[in-house]
Amino acid sequence: MISALVSLNADLASSIAFRYACRLMEYIDMRLQPIHVEEVDKGSFPPGSGWVRSTWEKGLLQTAEEEIAQLVNAEKADCPSLDATIVEIGEYDEALLHEIEEKSYDLLVEGVLTSFHGQLFHRKIRSRLYRFSPSPIIIVKNLVQPDRVAVLLKDALDVTPLISTFLKLFSTPKASVDLIHFAFKESGKPEIKEKIQDDAVPVGSENACKLLNTAKDLLAEKGWRPKETWVIRDTAEKISEFLSDYGLIGACLPRNVHKDSLMLDLLSRIPSATLLCKK
Amino acid sequence: MKILVAVDQNPYSAHAVLEVAKLAANTWANVSLLGVLSKTDTKERSAVAEAPSGLADNPLIKALFVHRGTFLSYFKQKECPYTSKGGPDELAEIRKGVYQLVHASKSAKKKLNIRVRTGNPGREILSEAKEEESDLIVLGCDHMKGCGWESGATVPRKVANDAPCSVLIAKAAKDVKRIVCCLDHDRVSQASLEMINQMVSLHGAQLTIVGLAENQGLKAEVERKLDNILRYYHERGIDPWIEMVDIAFLDSFVARDARWGLMALWMGKQSILEKAFPKSKLDKLIKRSDASVLILR
Repeated sequence: MISALVSLNADLASSIAFRYACRLMEYIDMRLQPIHVEEVDKGSFPPGSGWVRSTWEKGLLQTAEEEIAQLVNAEKADCPSLDATIVEIGEYDEALLHEIEEKSYDLLVEGVLTSFHGQLFHRKIRSRLYRFSPSPIIIVKNLVQPDRVAVLLKDALDVTPLISTFLKLFSTPKASVDLIHFAFKESGKPEIKEKIQDDAVPVGSENACKLLNTAKDLLAEKGWRPKETWVIRDTAEKISEFLSDYGLIGACLPRNVHKDSLMLDLLSRIPSATLLCKK
Repeated sequence: MKILVAVDQNPYSAHAVLEVAKLAANTWANVSLLGVLSKTDTKERSAVAEAPSGLADNPLIKALFVHRGTFLSYFKQKECPYTSKGGPDELAEIRKGVYQLVHASKSAKKKLNIRVRTGNPGREILSEAKEEESDLIVLGCDHMKGCGWESGATVPRKVANDAPCSVLIAKAAKDVKRIVCCLDHDRVSQASLEMINQMVSLHGAQLTIVGLAENQGLKAEVERKLDNILRYYHERGIDPWIEMVDIAFLDSFVARDARWGLMALWMGKQSILEKAFPKSKLDKLIKRSDASVLILR
């Protein structure tokens, strides 16, 4: 059984993420640990020290605990393997990084609402938490059914980290998985959207098929067989539309992704939950 | 539920009638088909004045009966709640300038009225909706000609802007694949939620609920409302997507997402959508976009 940390605030994004994590338990054998980090506004200082300060902190924690308990209790019936919520005061990224490192969680689940232009997603991906998290992260944007997973492969460097992360989380084949090799369309080149049938290799997709076969072999070692295999070349907008029916998209990102990265643009457009691992 | 379908003799009206038939099949709403004869057409005016029954040859009246046939043909005869025992297709003046089919579905389980009014189309449609306390006005429009009506280019826009109830401008240009609903306040009526629910199921469409944000954040009460709406639809087997759009980007968002086929705007009396989406912008959306527009009030 893997252990997953789910970060909660008293807001809509967390409510969605929490419910998604509960749904995910049908497909992943996991124990879910809710955590809430109560951030003190930057620039404002805690009052005094000693008893005054500890009373102030207790007050903050109590309010936060009550808010998060409301959210958790509403979903508890659908979430059997749920641990008592950890509530901490501190800086958000630092507190979560500390918790993940200390208790060696296998996964972090966090909610981020889809925003037009993807500002929230961009900010999140470039945060300290995402750059330094030792565990993979699922960003939940919408409450969808995580029964169909797409694994997005762009180059050979994606295959091992992504497939091994996927296999670690999904130890038994309860969901269905599709392998998708994608490339961004360059101007003047045609779009491609081909479903690979059996072992047929479409002309011009030889490298993509080779990479997909490596991924297939890795999956097969653990008893997984992809339902469908695709080769796609198109704009970020079109690829994201194609991916919108999936309940979870696995993708690799470099630790320091550039803000103008097409991959970042693609992931910010995808409305489903995204499983991110580092390469 | 009372639905008023404003029609003329053009194909876009036939499309609107068919949309209402689909909606009525799910809701068993009382439906009125309304045609408006222009007062400026002296020939029609004199015909109406002389003998309402003599209107049978008027193209609009003919169209109204064709639309009624289109509406009824959507239902299997035995299951149709609008079928009446019949009678002459005759219009009678029920009050000055307002005509109604004499036997209009008296014996049916649900009403299917046929009404004719004379005057300015936009004004008459609004008066009819007010007098009959309609919950929804539906009208089609010619999307190739800036969503106008043959009798008045601004009819659909006037109705959309000034109606006291919800309005659906049904365009035939696009299949509805996704319904995009914009929300900026926490006073969403149960009826409008149900309306969206109906639209989702009858089009087999997906649903996006858009929370309008100011300064990159949603108001706490809007977040709570979105959460409630999300739960409401989940209980009905619908998994809507949630998206947050800053009011400053609303124009570009609407331009992008109109491609999905139906744009719904929850416009309450105190809604900031009324500020972010004033008449001029709503006009532009109705006029230029291929998408159908549903204004929920």
